[in-house]
Amino acid sequence: LSRRDFRGRSLVPGTAEGEALVSERAFTFAHGVDPATGRVTDVRSDIRGAEVRGRVLFYPFGKGSTTASSWFLETVRLGNGPSSIVTDSVDLSAVIGSVMASLLYGRRIPVVSGFSAALRVAFKSGARVRVDGATGEVAILE
Amino acid sequence: VHLDPGQERLLRGEGGEAKQFAMEIVTKVGDAVDAGSLVPIKSAHVLAHYSSLHEAGVEVLERFARGGGKFSVPTTVDPASIDLKNWRTFGIGEEYARQQFRLCQAYAELGGIPCWTCVQYQVCNFPKPGEAVAWAESSSVVFANSVIGCRSNKVTSGMDVACAILGVTPKFGMLEDANRRATVSFRASFGEPSDLDYRSLGFFIGRNAGARVPALAGLPASVTSDDLKHLGAAAAAAGPVTMIHFIGITPGSRTVREAASDDSVEEIPVTRADLDAVEGDLNQSSDTPDLVALGVPHLSVSELGHLANLLGGKKLRPGTKMYAYTSSQAYEMAARTGIASDIEAAGARLSQSTDAEISPLKKMGFNTVLTNSAKLAEIVSSEGEVKVRYSPLRQIVEEVTS
Repeated sequence: LSRRDFRGRSLVPGTAEGEALVSERAFTFAHGVDPATGRVTDVRSDIRGAEVRGRVLFYPFGKGSTTASSWFLETVRLGNGPSSIVTDSVDLSAVIGSVMASLLYGRRIPVVSGFSAALRVAFKSGARVRVDGATGEVAILE
Repeated sequence: VHLDPGQERLLRGEGGEAKQFAMEIVTKVGDAVDAGSLVPIKSAHVLAHYSSLHEAGVEVLERFARGGGKFSVPTTVDPASIDLKNWRTFGIGEEYARQQFRLCQAYAELGGIPCWTCVQYQVCNFPKPGEAVAWAESSSVVFANSVIGCRSNKVTSGMDVACAILGVTPKFGMLEDANRRATVSFRASFGEPSDLDYRSLGFFIGRNAGARVPALAGLPASVTSDDLKHLGAAAAAAGPVTMIHFIGITPGSRTVREAASDDSVEEIPVTRADLDAVEGDLNQSSDTPDLVALGVPHLSVSELGHLANLLGGKKLRPGTKMYAYTSSQAYEMAARTGIASDIEAAGARLSQSTDAEISPLKKMGFNTVLTNSAKLAEIVSSEGEVKVRYSPLRQIVEEVTS
């Protein structure tokens, strides 16, 4: 059994485990995820059709509307939010969405940045992953 | 994030519930991004469309309003999801309108400036170069940093209102000189651009800059501030762009070298073939459109004048509607000058205080939308409920009129 660890930049604390859902493209919840189902609708996304619910969501950076944090928050409110978000550069909408989710609904969704395309070679969709938002540690469990 | 004694008191709740909630948001976000301090802002711009804020966003706003929140800096409000005056005649249902009016009510209580536009910088919110502001609305943030030369992060929903109440924002990102330096340079390497070319160029930059700060050289002297508005909107729709150094236009960016603070950066030429590829991507249908949507961002009065000229003496073909989305202020000027009646004489309509990408197009009965807005094309195809076509304005008018 191989075990791969990565220590990134801690943005929002909390611990989470889940199946990785990995996108190589710019990602947004705004108009790109249906909050009622958690399904990715964005035609320009390489994970279109996947569901973000309970997943550790990896993407390089955000894009688009500044309403993204509300789309994220609504997805969480309806019980369809991801368990954690891991990005390359800081996506402010993920940070704000996660902060709001903890203040409004008591949901901890750790957010970590500093990931890279090179690391995504090891972190494939479907891998079981643990994230510690306080330390920035992201580990493949099996 | 370091708080001064006054901010500490607000966080403890001594300034009331709304300020405490706002401080909780701003300090948690400030901690996340390692902001050293909270710095004063001169203005804020906040989001107000029900279609994107959803129930969760309405709850946030109502919590601020119930907690006695008041905006402490001039705060302009983005468009609503409906034409606030004429929504019934645009096919909006009572229940949908009621949800939008909850947001409007909250903003009335908070003291928002009800301009209901995404081009507040063309209407009633004019920062000066160098000033820090906290604006939401991605297209306006690009305009703020790139054309005006003021400083804003892409403040997303929830934090927009918190910053407006407190009059401060965490100091990080685009508020710091080091992060504003251009780190990649694009060069427009094609002929005189059409309206569509500016938008496709923006989309190309948004998609290819990644998380880098782009510069753009090679724009013709004829480029207008409206062209830059649409270019920036398209870039922000396609990627994480918050600023583009328009060489020769952006304050402090007379050359690529100056924009990049003397570093050498990768230069990417943008050719006609690149623009054609963007057009091909944004054109997701060949169906006959039932709606032509012009705006996204809101059209200025001069753009409405241009539309009136193109429509001069023509009539829309039956089966196709044309809505030109604008601010109520530009609408008023268009009405006074006769531009509005010229547009209406062709069978088109002006829609105020809302915009196409935040309207419930499917609920309004539309299946295929034709536009020259790359931002609208990106959003409509992302949601996947309505088909989208993307063409230059001149070609659109030829296609749908007789």
